[in-house]
Amino acid sequence: MEGVAMKLPSFKSLAPNAISFAVGHRSFTRVRRSFSLSVCSVASSSATIAADSEPVSLGRRARKDFRILHQEVNGSKLVYLDSAATSQKPAAVLDALQNYYEFYNSNVHRGIHYLSAKATDEFELARKKVARFINASDSREIVFTRNATEAINLVAYSWGLSNLKPGDEVILTVAEHHSCIVPWQIVSQKTGAVLKFVTLNEDEVPDMDMLREMLSQKTKLVAVHHVSNVLASSLPIEDIVVWAHDVGAKVLVDACQSVPHMVVDVQKLNADFLVASSHKMCGPTGIGFLYGKSDLLHEMPPFLGGGEMISDVFLDHSTYAEPPSRFEAGTPAIGEAIALGAACDYLSGIGMPKIHEYEVELSKYLYEKLSSLPDVRIYGPRPSESVCRAALCSFNVEGLHPTDLATFLDQQHGVAIRSGHHCAQPLHRYLGVNASARASLYFYNTKEEVDSFIVALADTVSFFNSFK
Amino acid sequence: MNTTSSISSLKAVASPPLFISTFRPTVKSLRNPKFPSRFSPKRIRCMQDSNINLNFGSKSNPNPSSSHEFSVSFATVSSLEAEEALLTTTTTTSSADKLRLLVTEFRSLTEPIDRVKRLLNYATVLAPLDDSARVPANRVTGCTTQVWLEIKKDELGRMRFKADSDSEISKGFCSCLIWILDGAKPEEVMGVRSEDLSEMNVGVHGKAQSRVNTWHNVLMSMQKRTLPFFDGDDDDVAHREEDRRLVQHRQEHDLLFNYVNGRRRSYMESSDYSVSLLPLDYDFTI
Repeated sequence: MEGVAMKLPSFKSLAPNAISFAVGHRSFTRVRRSFSLSVCSVASSSATIAADSEPVSLGRRARKDFRILHQEVNGSKLVYLDSAATSQKPAAVLDALQNYYEFYNSNVHRGIHYLSAKATDEFELARKKVARFINASDSREIVFTRNATEAINLVAYSWGLSNLKPGDEVILTVAEHHSCIVPWQIVSQKTGAVLKFVTLNEDEVPDMDMLREMLSQKTKLVAVHHVSNVLASSLPIEDIVVWAHDVGAKVLVDACQSVPHMVVDVQKLNADFLVASSHKMCGPTGIGFLYGKSDLLHEMPPFLGGGEMISDVFLDHSTYAEPPSRFEAGTPAIGEAIALGAACDYLSGIGMPKIHEYEVELSKYLYEKLSSLPDVRIYGPRPSESVCRAALCSFNVEGLHPTDLATFLDQQHGVAIRSGHHCAQPLHRYLGVNASARASLYFYNTKEEVDSFIVALADTVSFFNSFK
Repeated sequence: MNTTSSISSLKAVASPPLFISTFRPTVKSLRNPKFPSRFSPKRIRCMQDSNINLNFGSKSNPNPSSSHEFSVSFATVSSLEAEEALLTTTTTTSSADKLRLLVTEFRSLTEPIDRVKRLLNYATVLAPLDDSARVPANRVTGCTTQVWLEIKKDELGRMRFKADSDSEISKGFCSCLIWILDGAKPEEVMGVRSEDLSEMNVGVHGKAQSRVNTWHNVLMSMQKRTLPFFDGDDDDVAHREEDRRLVQHRQEHDLLFNYVNGRRRSYMESSDYSVSLLPLDYDFTI
């Protein structure tokens, strides 16, 4: 049954016009009907959803599109709380990938035959979808990369190597993902530029006052995250861009943890570069993108050489194609790019404001429940009216290793969380720990899953403490 | 054959001196763990003490009536096989035998929670590691937990291992590996294959070559640091049947170790790159 249901153009049932968040009883009836019509046969939980007196949460409605979530792991119902590492993929995305390989697999930008033309159209359409998703003014400002890491490396090697010189400064924060630290270390070693790191303030968020003070005429780039994958805090990118531009510096935004969860408008942010990863936003792995302002991309030399990125090749030199092709050497991940476009459609169909609103609610619930457990230390800012955390909590339980927690949660309770340094070793070192556990949510998670996680965690802690 | 007496023999022969001399169970560790309500208060069978199992390579008591039941199935191991394994152990203490015994033991634990419990118990008997050994050079890379491994060669030419971790489960892994390999000859250490450990996995699914697989990473680290002591021309092993396999195994490791020892630089241009960058978890076998 589920397999059949997966073939439906499932995101339609989640489209804003099909379902609205119920306020009164009348609209709720509509919700129930549209939900039941489209997915009543998918899961047994559907029936109980319809009988509830509460409005059906986005999480519950979305789950039908994610077949992977409906399974048992180690004898327990899977509770997937590792979306900050990678998100699950809805049927619409898997269908797009399958359709490409099944019906029009062909190389792009080269062949004149039907399949190649079709593949090229869909590939370039995907670029437009990504551009629209982050409100870029032109799809040529979107460069497809393997992932966000490659996108940052592209800027580091192309823009960085040709613009940084000894004594120049690049400002980062200690909370950056390794992918936004290591490329700059490599480039600074090659150019003589200096890396400067903003530390955390008393609220355990990167200190913006310190960042402002660090900015000077020497500053050539500020490369920072939008939302922290450990602290769950957000940085005021619009302000940072204004401050940085005032001293003539460029800004690169690592938006891996923001683009999947909230409206990100590159024109409003006015950042010079922004990177994100497909697999964290319901798209496939193997594809990510770089947004760069047109004028900057035009000035930048190629990152990798090969086919696709050239204009003419002679034995002694070559001329290069215009962006974005200049930065897309070789055959790209065509099917993956097309499926990323489908992911953009899917998320837009639900509505990013709605996803964000729901995740804010989930986030508060997760923090509240987790902080109610004894001996739990959650990293990052405390939520308040002015502080809105992302829907994730990195934490430690006194006296227990997060990997032990994660192992037991998986084996005994089917709860998938992350443990380790989450590719943010400097941040963990700054926090005085080697590792942490992290539960990260997405719009397909529910409060009931948070409850299951909390019960499982309490049980896990009790188990290990019994051995002390 | 009297199983109990076999197991007793096993304890005497198979437990390394280090284990016996350093095991000082505290009152806390000996008490019956207070399991959460959803777990029955199953006891882990122990040859030394009925409350805990601290005998490596042992299997649970097939007769639940003699102690609290422990949900371990013997279905996967015939009693004949088990007896054979035990008999073998009474006559030799080779690492290969210990490994087989431990694999059999973990294979007999069909419930994941029982494997975790077993490891946690083994963690309690891991000999302490001096603070002076907790140095970066002794860190096992590639694990999500911190593991320190101290390696020495004693006057008899045998490898001596000590380890510790900030994770209890990882300590359990280390405890098992040390029980297998502490006191072994270098060629014995080099002869263990990570695949042999795959059935003992706790918390890691699928293939052994996972980045988070502590079994694998600690073993690789033991082997990497034993390699300098490994003399393939040792007369004692020259005629052993497994010699060829050892040599082949060493060759398979060469690719990795050439990187480690700086004989190959194609991996990175500079020699400044840390060894920890190397994919210790990667299996180069084709």
